[in-house]
Amino acid sequence: MIHEDMICPFCGCLCDDLVIETKGTEVVRVDNACTLGSHKLMNAGKHRLKGPIMRDSGQWRDASYEEAIEYAAGILLDADRPLLYGWSSTQGEAQGTGVSMAELLGGVIDSTTSVCHGPSILAIQEVGHPGCTLGQVKNRADLIVYWGCNPTEAHPRHMSRYTTYADGYFLENAFRDRKLILVDVRKTETASIADEFVQVKPGGDYAVLSALRAIVRGREDVVPPTVAGVTKEQLLRVAALCKEAKFGALFFGVGLTMSPGKYKNVRNAIELVDELNRHTKFTLTPLRGHYNVYGSNEVFTWMTGYPYAVDFSRQIAFYNPGETTAVDLMARKECDAALIVASDPGAHFPKKCLEHLASIPTVLIDPMHTMTTPLVKCQIPTAVTGMDAPGTAYRMDGVPIHVKKFLDLGYPTDTEIIGKIFEKVKEVRHP
Amino acid sequence: MKALFNTGRTVAQGQGLEVKARPEYMEATSICMMNPVDLMDLDLEEGERVLVRGPAGEVVLTTVQNEGIPRGTVYVPMGPYANAVVDTETHATGMPDFKSCIVDLEPTDDEVKSQTELMEAVGGLAYRGDEE
Repeated sequence: MIHEDMICPFCGCLCDDLVIETKGTEVVRVDNACTLGSHKLMNAGKHRLKGPIMRDSGQWRDASYEEAIEYAAGILLDADRPLLYGWSSTQGEAQGTGVSMAELLGGVIDSTTSVCHGPSILAIQEVGHPGCTLGQVKNRADLIVYWGCNPTEAHPRHMSRYTTYADGYFLENAFRDRKLILVDVRKTETASIADEFVQVKPGGDYAVLSALRAIVRGREDVVPPTVAGVTKEQLLRVAALCKEAKFGALFFGVGLTMSPGKYKNVRNAIELVDELNRHTKFTLTPLRGHYNVYGSNEVFTWMTGYPYAVDFSRQIAFYNPGETTAVDLMARKECDAALIVASDPGAHFPKKCLEHLASIPTVLIDPMHTMTTPLVKCQIPTAVTGMDAPGTAYRMDGVPIHVKKFLDLGYPTDTEIIGKIFEKVKEVRHP
Repeated sequence: MKALFNTGRTVAQGQGLEVKARPEYMEATSICMMNPVDLMDLDLEEGERVLVRGPAGEVVLTTVQNEGIPRGTVYVPMGPYANAVVDTETHATGMPDFKSCIVDLEPTDDEVKSQTELMEAVGGLAYRGDEE
């Protein structure tokens, strides 16, 4: 069976033009997706856990959904400081239920944002977000800047759908008219197609952004001959390209958020875009990783006022990244139970966090055997949103998209499982 | 040799995300990409192994040469191997230094551990119920 106009549940691009062919319960062909999306869709049906598993006397054993749900509710209710972490590769509906449950439990809810674009949000809270939708970029932008990111490997269709290789309604010959600037510490494949490749010494992004701001302000006299390994001549060329553009769009990755300076780098990028808007139209968009990590920020914000790392232990929503973020809570051995949903801290958190995670009662809600599986006491497999479950996801530009279902493998959705755990919690702690 | 430890995405790492318990994911994430000159300085051929010692621990990785990586820097795909050396300090931002810790590199003949061994070393229990 052919399924057209399917949404890819891999990265924040949420490509909406996939053609997927299924035979029975198997995906046999995926057209239009990038290699990352294809691998997910071709493999996600094959390697599922068959049912819930639990640890018993040093062994894994199969469990029923009822038993696993009972266990999950039990550990959350018994805990003094439960952590509900993940939430980026799941439905908006599940995220909402998670926030309500975290509030009732007096726990902390954090999403993978804290280890990807959390610092971007801190910067946006300081100086605002000059953003726009990807449709505006595709149809209008004649200058694209990729800073601290490698779309060729991390968002492989970003350039063909929205920037370099995309047609633009207001551009006669989009491919020729659109210039590309890449700023990175290493020479990646994306560098080979850039009009300007700016190679910054590691940790030098803040200085380069400051130098560009000075030039755009007309103060090139204060810029030294080289800044973090970048020559003044190149900086002048880059600043000129930016000012001459009719519409510039800066995209940035975790090269800014994870490097020294972290959110201050992003703040400086936003302020460069602010300066450029005195000369032309310029926007800035973080390249978000998980397909619905932006959704976690939206849902958490409209429910609690804060985008991630929300702590309900004071019976009001409290937010203090560095204190209420998952890595810090685990490193300080503060959380005494955890519910991990649709994410894999086992693969992506520093080792010391994992030692704590392995020592406390933890339940994982995830369709697959992941790196977190060996660390938890119980895992509950669910449907993959965008494959065997529909749901709401937010694209990296904040546009909500209804992700479709094209298979039925008989698994419950994340929303159903979290809803059932929440019901059990409510039986004990009345809202 | 001291080097700046940079981590991030690669296509192979992304392709392995749904099959993390399988060898493809281990191969994709247990590599240390480095400049050919640095590789020569360590007296290593591409494919030989290096012991990486960082602020939070050490890990054995397979070297891959890459001219795009500046000298004095190594690039390791994000995943359990990279995180074996990254510390939990977040400088009050919530974000660890995934791209800026300093590591020490030395040649080794030790084998690269499997991802399951890494998880067991931090107190996990391997799940083998889905092995074919």
